[in-house]
Amino acid sequence: MCGIIGCVGCGDTLGTLVHGLSKLEYRGYDSAGVALGGDETLGVLKRAGELDALRDALDGQSDLSGSVGIGHTRWSTHGPPTDENAHPHQDCTGSVAVVHNGIIENYQELRDELAAAGHTFGSDTDTEVVPHLIESGLESGADPEAAFRAAIDRLEGSFAIACLVAGAASVFVARNDSPLVLGLAEDATYLASDVPAFREYTDQVVYLDDGEFAELSADGWRVTDTDGDPIEKSVETISWDAEETGKSGYDHFMLKEIHEQPRALRQCLRSRVDELRGSVTVDELGDLELDRVHLVAAGTSYHAAVYGAQMLSADGIPAQAHYAHEYASSPPPIENATVVGVSQSGETADTLAATREARRRGAETLALTNTVGSTMARECDDAFYIRSGPEIGVAATKTFAGQQTALNLLTQVARSGTADRELVSALRDLPGDIQTILDESDAEAVAEAYLDAAAYFFIGRGLNYPVALEGALKMKEISYEHAEGFAAGELKHGPLALVTANTPVFATVVDDDELARKTVGNIKEVEARNAPVVAVTDGRSDAGRYADHTLEIPETHPRTAAILANVQLQLVAYHTAAKLGRSIDKPRNLAKSVTVE
Amino acid sequence: MEITTGVVLAAGEGTRLRPMTANRPKPMLPAAGRPILEHVLDVLVECGIKELCLIVGYRRERIQEHFGHSYRDVPITYVQQKKQLGSAHALQQVEGEIEKPMLVLNGDRVIDERIVEDVLAGFDGAPTLSAIEHPTPMEYGAVKVSGDRLTEFVEKPETDDFRLINAGVYAFDPSVFEAISRTDRRGGELQLSDVIETLMDDGPVRAVRTDGLWADATYPWDLLFLTRELLRRGRVSPPDRDASVWVAESARVHPDATLQPPVVVGADSEVAAGAVLGPNVAVGYNATIGANTTLRDVLLDSDCRIEAGATLLDCVVGQTVDIGAGTVAPGGPGDVRVGERVFENQSLGAVVADRASVGGGVTFAPGTLVGANVDIGTGVHASGTIDDDAEVVR
Repeated sequence: MCGIIGCVGCGDTLGTLVHGLSKLEYRGYDSAGVALGGDETLGVLKRAGELDALRDALDGQSDLSGSVGIGHTRWSTHGPPTDENAHPHQDCTGSVAVVHNGIIENYQELRDELAAAGHTFGSDTDTEVVPHLIESGLESGADPEAAFRAAIDRLEGSFAIACLVAGAASVFVARNDSPLVLGLAEDATYLASDVPAFREYTDQVVYLDDGEFAELSADGWRVTDTDGDPIEKSVETISWDAEETGKSGYDHFMLKEIHEQPRALRQCLRSRVDELRGSVTVDELGDLELDRVHLVAAGTSYHAAVYGAQMLSADGIPAQAHYAHEYASSPPPIENATVVGVSQSGETADTLAATREARRRGAETLALTNTVGSTMARECDDAFYIRSGPEIGVAATKTFAGQQTALNLLTQVARSGTADRELVSALRDLPGDIQTILDESDAEAVAEAYLDAAAYFFIGRGLNYPVALEGALKMKEISYEHAEGFAAGELKHGPLALVTANTPVFATVVDDDELARKTVGNIKEVEARNAPVVAVTDGRSDAGRYADHTLEIPETHPRTAAILANVQLQLVAYHTAAKLGRSIDKPRNLAKSVTVE
Repeated sequence: MEITTGVVLAAGEGTRLRPMTANRPKPMLPAAGRPILEHVLDVLVECGIKELCLIVGYRRERIQEHFGHSYRDVPITYVQQKKQLGSAHALQQVEGEIEKPMLVLNGDRVIDERIVEDVLAGFDGAPTLSAIEHPTPMEYGAVKVSGDRLTEFVEKPETDDFRLINAGVYAFDPSVFEAISRTDRRGGELQLSDVIETLMDDGPVRAVRTDGLWADATYPWDLLFLTRELLRRGRVSPPDRDASVWVAESARVHPDATLQPPVVVGADSEVAAGAVLGPNVAVGYNATIGANTTLRDVLLDSDCRIEAGATLLDCVVGQTVDIGAGTVAPGGPGDVRVGERVFENQSLGAVVADRASVGGGVTFAPGTLVGANVDIGTGVHASGTIDDDAEVVR
C-alpha cells in the first residue's frame, strides 16, 4: 500500500515529486523516496519516516536534478520501514530505479533465481526483484523499454510500477490491479496513484487499466497493451479542485471532513430526492435488478453495508452484508443477488476481490463508491457515487455518512411501491440536522471526562448496532485506545464481564419504542456495574435519566438518526485522540485505502 | 503601489444581530441567498486581490467550512483571533504573516467594488482610508476630509456637522503593526479607529472620497434591506430564469408556482404548486415551500420548511426553521424591542432565528423577534421578544 508519483517535463522535477508525495501521504507514510534521471546517471534519495525526513535529507542535496523523476511514499507490507526498504529500489549497477505499489506474489522465486545469477539484494522487499530483472534484460542487450516489458512479464500479483533507466529520458509504467492515473498538461506529463498528486497542474487525466503499459517522455505519453500495440485512451476532465485538499484552518483533515458532512450530504442527495412528490430517483441505478442484494465491504464501509442490509431487509428485500475478504474466499450461493461493493476509494483490494469473484460467478455488480473512475467503478456493471468529495483523513467520516445516505437512497429505489415520505423528508433534513450537532455538540467535554478510561464500549440495537461498531472502530483507529462495539442484546451474553467503573459505555437510543426500551434496560445493566454511561439520544426515551452524559441528536426518522448518532461518536473519537496527542490524520500502521489483500 | 493581499476582519459575532447570530458570526448571515462575506470576497476578487487572509474567531468553523481553502481560485489563509478585543487587535493577529502592503476591510458589510478600487488606486504608501457620504454619520466613525487628507476622525460624534463616514476599507503598509503596538487599549479593546488617530499624529493619513453601495446590517431586520439592495443589483449566485428571477439548477419549482421578480431560489430548494414568491424574496438552499404559501419581502435561510398555506410578509427566517401550515405574519410596520430600546414603526413582520419550530396556524404580531431553538405551539399568537430555547404554548 503506497503512493506513486512521476513526472516528465515539469521544470522543477524534484519540487513536483515532493509536492506530489505530500498529497499522497494518506496512502502511506512510513518512508519516502525519489529518483531523478534523464541523462547517463540516476540520482536516488530515500528515507524511513514521514515525508519530512526525506525533505530534511534533500536539504543538503543540491545535485539531485533531472528532467524525469519518480517518487514513492510507502506503507510497509514486506520488510519494516527502513531506509533500505524505502523505494525507489535499484539494481546492482545503479542504473535502474523502480517504485512499486502492490504485492509481487512470486517474488521469492524470482529473488532466488536472481540471487543465483549473482545479483545482490539490499532490502527485504518484494519490489527489489524488479530492478534486477530489468538489469538482466539490459545486460542481455535489450533496450530499456523491452527490458522493462520483459521484467513485468515475469511478475505475478498486483502492481503499479514506475521505472527510470539511466540513459533514457522516459518514465516506464505498468499497471496490474493497483491504481495509476496519468495527468496531462501542456508541456509536462504526470503519473500518480491518485489525482491529488498532480491536480494543481492539470485537470486532464487518463486512467490506466490492468495490463496496460505507458511511456512518458518529452514527446508526451503513449499507452500500449502487453504486445506493445498502442491503445486509444479517453482523456477525462476532473471537476473538483486541488484546493479542496487543504486543511482550511482546521487542526486536522478529520475535523475538517467532519464539518464538511452537511455539504457532502447535500451533494449526495442533490436531484435524487423530491420531498413534495415523495420520490427518490437515482439515475445511476437505472434498470438494475435489486431483488436480492449482497453488500461486500471492509472496515468502515462494512459498517455502512450492515446498516444498508438491515434497511433493505426491513423493506422486504433479502440482503446480507459480508466482509469482502471472507466473501472472496468463501462466498455464499449467489442466488441471483446483485452484489454491491462498498468502498470509498473504489480501490480496496479486498472489496475488488469480492466483486470480481461475484462477476466470475455471473452476478450483476454495483460499485457504491466516492471515487469516479476508480477500478471498482470501472469493473462493476454500474457505479453509484456518494459524491462526498475528496477525503484525506485516514479515518473515514464524511464518506461513511455519504455511504449511509446513499444506501438509504438505494433502499428506497429497490423497495416495491413508493418511497417512504417521512424518510424522504428526513433525508432532506440531514444536512441541517448534522449542522445542529456540529454547532451544539458536547462531545469534547465527554472526551475530556473519560480520557483515562481503560476501554470504551459502544452498544446499540437494530440500526444502531452498526453505529456502535463504527463508533468503536473510529475510537480505536485514531485514539489507539481499546474500544469495542456490541449489539446491545449481546452484552449480557459475555461482554458484560469486561464492564467496570473505568469503562464508559456509549449507548445509542433513538425513539421510544420497544427497541429503545430494551436498550435502556441494557443501560441499567451496565449502570449496575458502576460503568459510566454516555447516551446518544434524541431525548424521546428516558435514556438520559440513567446516563452520566447525554449527547443529543435532533428528532428524526430512525434511519437517519443512525447517521446523526454516528456524527456525535466521530466527535468523541476525534476529541479523545486530539487530547491524547495522537497522529489523527495518519494513525500508526494504517493507510487510507488498502490496496493490498 | 500595488496591493494584492486582502485582510478581512470576520472574527466578531455582531451581537446586535442576535438572535440571528446564535450559531454563526455576522459575516455568515444571509443576504440575498448567500452570506454577506461572500459578497465581500467577490468584490476583492474582482478588484484583483490575489491572496485572501480571513481573521476568524466566533464560530469560525462556519466560515472555514463555507469557503474552504480558496474562493474563486484565490487562496485563503485563516488566522484565528481567539479573543475578540477589537478590530486593531484582530489585525494584529496577522503581524509577521503579512509583510507587504495590504487592503483591510470588514467582512460584515456589503460594499461596492468602486470603494475598493478607489482605495487601491489612492494608496501611495501612506495609510489610507475610504470616506463615504452617509445619512446618519452619528452612528459610525465620522470623518472630515480636506483634499485627499484626513483631518478629523470621531467615533460616533455627538454633533451633527459631519457628512462623511469611514467606510471601513483601509490600505496599510506593514508599518501599521508598529502603530497598533503604540496605540492604547480603550475599555480593554484595541480599535482601528484609535490606530488611525495614532497614524494621524505620525503624519498624513490619506482619505479617499468614494461612493457606491455601502450597506451595513446593524439589526436583524436590516438584512431585508440588504437583500432588497442586492436583488436590485442582481448580486446573486443562481442563473437567471427570467428578468430578475434567479433559480438554481438543482431547485425544483412547480410550474404552477408564481415567482414575482426580484426573487432568488437557492440550490436543492423545492417550491410547490400555488406558491407565490416575491417580490423581494430570497430563498436559501434546501428549503421546502409548500402549496399555496405566500412570501413577500422575505429572507429565508437554508434548510427551512414552510408548510402549505403559510403567509409571511417582511420576515427574516434563519436556518433549519419549520413554519407550520397556515401560519401568518401579516408584516410591518410594528415596534421592535431590543433590550431596553424600542424601534418604532419598522417594516418587520417577524424575525425567526435558527432551528425555531413554529406550529400551524400561528400568527405573528408585527415586529416579533423569535429566538433560536424556540418552539411555538399550534395556534399561538406570538408577539414581542421570545428568548432563545423558549417554549410557547397557547
